[in-house]
Amino acid sequence: MTELLAALIVVAPTAAGALAWFADDRRAGRLAALGFVTALAAGLLLAARVFVEGPLGAFGGLVVVDALGAYVLALVLVVATVALAGSPGHLAHERAAGRLRPNDTGRYYALLLWFATALAVVPLLDNLGLLWVGIEATTIVSALLVGFARTPTAIEAAWKYLILGSIGIGFALLGTLLLYASSVGGLGEMSDALAWTRLTELAPRLDPGLARLAFIFALAGYGTKAGLVPFHFWLPDAHSQAPSPISSLLSGAALAVALYALARFHLITVATLGPAFSSTLLVVFGLLSLATALPFIVAQGDLKRLLAYSSIEHLGLATLALGFGGHLALLGLTLHLFSHGLAKSTVFLAAGRLVAERGSRRIGRLGGSLARSPADGRALVVAALALSGLPPSGIFVAEIAILLGGVQAGWGLAAGAAAAILALAVAGLLFHVIRVSVGPPGRPAEGPPASHRWALLLGVPLTVVVVAGLWTPSPLAAALNQVVLVLGGGRG
Amino acid sequence: MTIDLRTAGQLVDACAAAIVLLGVGLAATRSIGRAIWLVALQSALTGVAAISVGLATGAGHLVIGGLLAVGAKGVVVPFVLGSILRRSPVRQERHPLLGRHASLVAAVAIVFVASAAANGAFVGASVAAGRGLPAAIATVLTGLLIIMTRRKALSLVVGLLVFENGIALTAFALTYGMPFVVELGVLFDLLIAVVVAWVYARRMLDVLGSTSTDELRSLRG
Repeated sequence: MTELLAALIVVAPTAAGALAWFADDRRAGRLAALGFVTALAAGLLLAARVFVEGPLGAFGGLVVVDALGAYVLALVLVVATVALAGSPGHLAHERAAGRLRPNDTGRYYALLLWFATALAVVPLLDNLGLLWVGIEATTIVSALLVGFARTPTAIEAAWKYLILGSIGIGFALLGTLLLYASSVGGLGEMSDALAWTRLTELAPRLDPGLARLAFIFALAGYGTKAGLVPFHFWLPDAHSQAPSPISSLLSGAALAVALYALARFHLITVATLGPAFSSTLLVVFGLLSLATALPFIVAQGDLKRLLAYSSIEHLGLATLALGFGGHLALLGLTLHLFSHGLAKSTVFLAAGRLVAERGSRRIGRLGGSLARSPADGRALVVAALALSGLPPSGIFVAEIAILLGGVQAGWGLAAGAAAAILALAVAGLLFHVIRVSVGPPGRPAEGPPASHRWALLLGVPLTVVVVAGLWTPSPLAAALNQVVLVLGGGRG
Repeated sequence: MTIDLRTAGQLVDACAAAIVLLGVGLAATRSIGRAIWLVALQSALTGVAAISVGLATGAGHLVIGGLLAVGAKGVVVPFVLGSILRRSPVRQERHPLLGRHASLVAAVAIVFVASAAANGAFVGASVAAGRGLPAAIATVLTGLLIIMTRRKALSLVVGLLVFENGIALTAFALTYGMPFVVELGVLFDLLIAVVVAWVYARRMLDVLGSTSTDELRSLRG
């Protein structure tokens, strides 16, 4: 059963993507939906089984899914649903503007499905080497999507993403190698010496010097993919130039997957060296990312770049939470990843439509959006309030939990600094969003008003984000606690 | 076919030395066409080192992995890069950030630093760090040097390949390579990445009229 589900998650969207590549415009979307819904159903069923029955394995130990893996898998699939659902609207606008070439629709859907598949595979694998292969595959496929528009700026963003991403991820491979070497030295060569389940068990016997070096390289490598400062230079370009549904997937899911990889290294390093070493590094880089994102949020003039820098801020906060450790901060981290993923993927869709309507990304030219495009304007305002960490929203609860957890865990100073930065970022983000929503009208909008389906697509995820700040159903709370248990170094 | 361990060791040493020398040559050359063939040769030698150890120890996966590396990185990749070069109007690295002499000095300095670093960092480690390690570190750093100082898109891809060869050599020096499935995955990713780089280099030529990354400076803030 586990084997079947894991295979469906990979094979159904990969095959549907291959068919969509060659299909005509009308069929490509349906094929993509069919392949993806199959993977979505299989993935959610697999995740649910993990939360009920405990960790599941398949294919001779190649696939192991624990509560953390199941959670990240569910996150990827839900964010990909938002991105896929937002794609027909995006493509329709591109087609109307004459920016689509023949076959572009099929290729777009194929690449989107392969990107989502590569992201979904990563949390299934019990092998740090193959996990690296999966994350590198996400970079390569998404590089083709970032430059999909073929404009000079899109090509620039995609090229930077490909080169900087490949260098960064090369460091992660070195880190993986060093961890492998640290186990081979003590244990001899084994086929499962790269399995994180095995490495966590054997962690006290790993070579501490090599394990320390391994974590530093993994932090630089997967930190690049997670957009941690100072490895973030590709992120604002790639997330702002990509087609908006792809920005959703990059910000909502790809960053979380990179953080997942970093978390696996962190757990092994903690078990080998004790918590001090890797936790301190995570706190330092988390704070650095928060602090660096702040001025770029405050002084931003481009709506999509604003959202991209907000992603750097939020991933900095998530990294900080991972470094803090402790039940409360990790619970905050778990809630944060989902709330941020949903809010950010939805707001990218709304921003993308606003930008397409006005033909400009400049915040000064997008004024009056609330009156002119109510569905997108409302979504932007609600999402910005949530992303600022204002109540009621899942992100508000998560941020409070992370900061209090930090104080509890003895990181009072770091938590205080983070709170100050977050408060300033609220002002920056809200200032820009007020200008876009009720500011002086900018360029005239073109194109038909948003359909009811579009309003629903934006409304549902944002409602979930808001409700998550008020009420958590008890099965969900139990699931969150299982994830926290794994993140705390236990077996979930 | 088998060879004895001593011969294999000598072969690996020879390959490592040649890889470092090719790295120095790559850092110094300005001709992109020459750089492509030098990096192809360097990539092939990482494969040859794996094959010779595989033959000596009877580890079949090393031989297969080495052969695949020679084929993919030594033949397919230079062919793909060469096809971009033929379309490109400029085939020289005209204004690198470091001149030829400075690059040469930097590359030689890297070799010395790498030897010192390899001896220093792994003294306490329980792993019997192999002889290839200084060469591996030097190659990784040479790749980064090329990426940082060149401006043409193709030169950056060459730098990335040198960096990747350094990683492959590190894998080999530390643990005699990764498990076979991982090696296969890494090689597959590398090939696809080069194809994507090919796609974008073509788009740069079509849209911007050049593959110089100087044209790519409009995104800021």
